[in-house]
Amino acid sequence: MLMPRKVAHRKHHRGRTRGLTKGGSELAFGEYGIQALEPGWLTARQIEAARIAMTRAIKRGGKVWINVFPDKPVTKKPAETRMGSGKGNPEFWVAVVRPGRVLFELSFPNEEQARIAMNKAIQKLPIKARIITREETI
Amino acid sequence: MSDTVLVAESGRITGSAAARRMRADDVIPAVVYGLGMEPISISVARRDLRQALSGSAGMNTVLDLTVDGNVYPAIIKELQRHPTRRTVSHVDFIQINLSEEIRVHVPLRLEGDAHEVMNNNGLVDPAVDSIEVATTPRLIPDEIVIDISEMTMDSVIRLGDVALPDGVVATGDPESPVVTVLVMRAEVEEIEEADAELAEAAAEGESTADSDAGGEGEAPSGDTAE
Repeated sequence: MLMPRKVAHRKHHRGRTRGLTKGGSELAFGEYGIQALEPGWLTARQIEAARIAMTRAIKRGGKVWINVFPDKPVTKKPAETRMGSGKGNPEFWVAVVRPGRVLFELSFPNEEQARIAMNKAIQKLPIKARIITREETI
Repeated sequence: MSDTVLVAESGRITGSAAARRMRADDVIPAVVYGLGMEPISISVARRDLRQALSGSAGMNTVLDLTVDGNVYPAIIKELQRHPTRRTVSHVDFIQINLSEEIRVHVPLRLEGDAHEVMNNNGLVDPAVDSIEVATTPRLIPDEIVIDISEMTMDSVIRLGDVALPDGVVATGDPESPVVTVLVMRAEVEEIEEADAELAEAAAEGESTADSDAGGEGEAPSGDTAE
């Protein structure tokens, strides 16, 4: 699963996720993309699950790009622990996503099959997302 | 290529609130600059802009931008979109000299079926989706067509191999690949590996996040080992 090799700070603040994405809202590599429509955290596991769903659906003959990276550690206190005694241990990694962010890109010759694959990947995500293509109107 | 007339209005109120109100009325804030002129803040009707860019040249359409009776030959330099609505929120027009060479990105289109590649389970992979060319505005091609029907498993179409119309020169490295052929790996194996990884991770619990220190997160597994 995706995670940083080393980090400057082991524990982060949770932060707020306000507003729209600052960049990364356009397709850069593939012909189709999955775009986030809600803010949220994507865990490394969810990103991996979506990638696997997509690659499994297209079987072969396509190329997948992952545009988000889970670089934020999330801590958790163990179960049945009293409050206090400092912040919990890092448990998993998340990518902070704002609306408009292109999460995955896909290059595949057959559009119908590509859409099926991307819909399967969207099912694995905790936020609303949609499929975008390069053809856009003014 | 015939020029398309686009009528714009100058004297718009600048600022985000005014721009927001304009967009609500289907008017797009824009700016025109270039060739030493002072930038002019203008506005164009969304409908007019859509019509102007719906020709075969698309984003590379040479426009006769009419602002307060003055005509500026211009092309679109940048088009900003709203991240989720995908509507155009701002346009940069750059004034051009019709006899001077300019650099523009021309979209690429692959033509034909690479039968040999398909028969060998390969995939024709365009490395780029547009090519930057230097040409005069009147000679900008609508698209660059590349025939891939003769491609084999080991063939690469490089920028130097791409046939361009007269007066059009590609600005990039002639050796840079434009279309390549990907050899498909056994994707099934990859999927099985990934599944095994996920299952393994699930079995180990969620202690994988502790990358740099690694001490505290590993405590449960240490207990199990005892």
